Amino acid sequence: MFCLSEMEDTVRVPPDLLKLPLEVAIKKVLQKLLLNKVLSIGLCVTIYDIKSAEGGFVLPGDGPATYKVRFRIVVFRPFVGEVIAARFKESDSNGLRLTLGFFEDIYVPAPLIPRPNRCEPDPYNRSQMRWVWIFEEQEYIIDHSCQINFRVENISYPPVPTEQAEDAKPFAPMVITGTIDDDGLGPVSWWEGCSERNNEDDDT
Amino acid sequence: MKANAGTLTNFEVLDLLNSRGASNDTTRVIAPISTSEYTRLHVYDYLMETPACTQTQEIITNFSDQCKYFKLAKAEILNIINIRPSSTVNLAPILEEPSERGIDKKAKEGILKLVEALLPPPPIVEARGDNEEEETEEGEQS
Repeated sequence: MFCLSEMEDTVRVPPDLLKLPLEVAIKKVLQKLLLNKVLSIGLCVTIYDIKSAEGGFVLPGDGPATYKVRFRIVVFRPFVGEVIAARFKESDSNGLRLTLGFFEDIYVPAPLIPRPNRCEPDPYNRSQMRWVWIFEEQEYIIDHSCQINFRVENISYPPVPTEQAEDAKPFAPMVITGTIDDDGLGPVSWWEGCSERNNEDDDT
Repeated sequence: MKANAGTLTNFEVLDLLNSRGASNDTTRVIAPISTSEYTRLHVYDYLMETPACTQTQEIITNFSDQCKYFKLAKAEILNIINIRPSSTVNLAPILEEPSERGIDKKAKEGILKLVEALLPPPPIVEARGDNEEEETEEGEQS
């Protein structure tokens, strides 16, 4: 789910950081600019290294020193088809929302929840709907109780909205659509002790 | 700009964060975290509950080398390392069109044996959430 991205950017190091070793100062500026942000390459996690820094010119009328920096950054960007371990966050009539802790915009829409299923008001949480998979007359509830494995179907980077209604959900710059409709996906408790039974079916 | 200058296993990211003192980061208990720290610390927390926290570089390199025999895609090997499937059913969603590539039941069993032999079991994680249940090992009980 993580990869290295190599970037080049112009970095302005403010005068108060210039007393630090150059690499440390540049890293500090880059961290503030990039970390915890979603770029087109994914969610930035940490600066990996600085490959080169050129310049150091101070432009007229400007305090900071300007550097052209090549660096590598660790980003969270899963690949389509990747199976990822997540936790349940919430669910509604549209489907499930899962979380990794550091990333919470993972959605499993209703069509990607195994069928037959039903969606009903959650008896433990009146404001929520919960999903229940029905298989061989057994009911399998999807809730907080264990880790949920999903597979990445799609990653999108919605454009920043120019206007937002007051009660709209906070804007998510990166959205992962996942599926739990396959063997081995969904809550891990569904598959414990299952390997012998499924041996015959695993060539689908 | 090179969007993809190389994929990293969960272990490699955890190792990197550890080398930068993530495990010793007591400041988050004392003071509010800055936004740039937020992701890094939460990625660390996430990875510490995955099989990555029991892996080493040597284990991963060794496993990747041995996997060559099974003609798996690089992405599949990475996914197996990160998830550490312990049964055929856990392995199933990771492999793409296995029957079309000649990966039969025997090959799948071979892959699982390799996982069992070379990748340490994941940590024991307790269930979170509203209910009182506790989860035992996530891997299969052998």
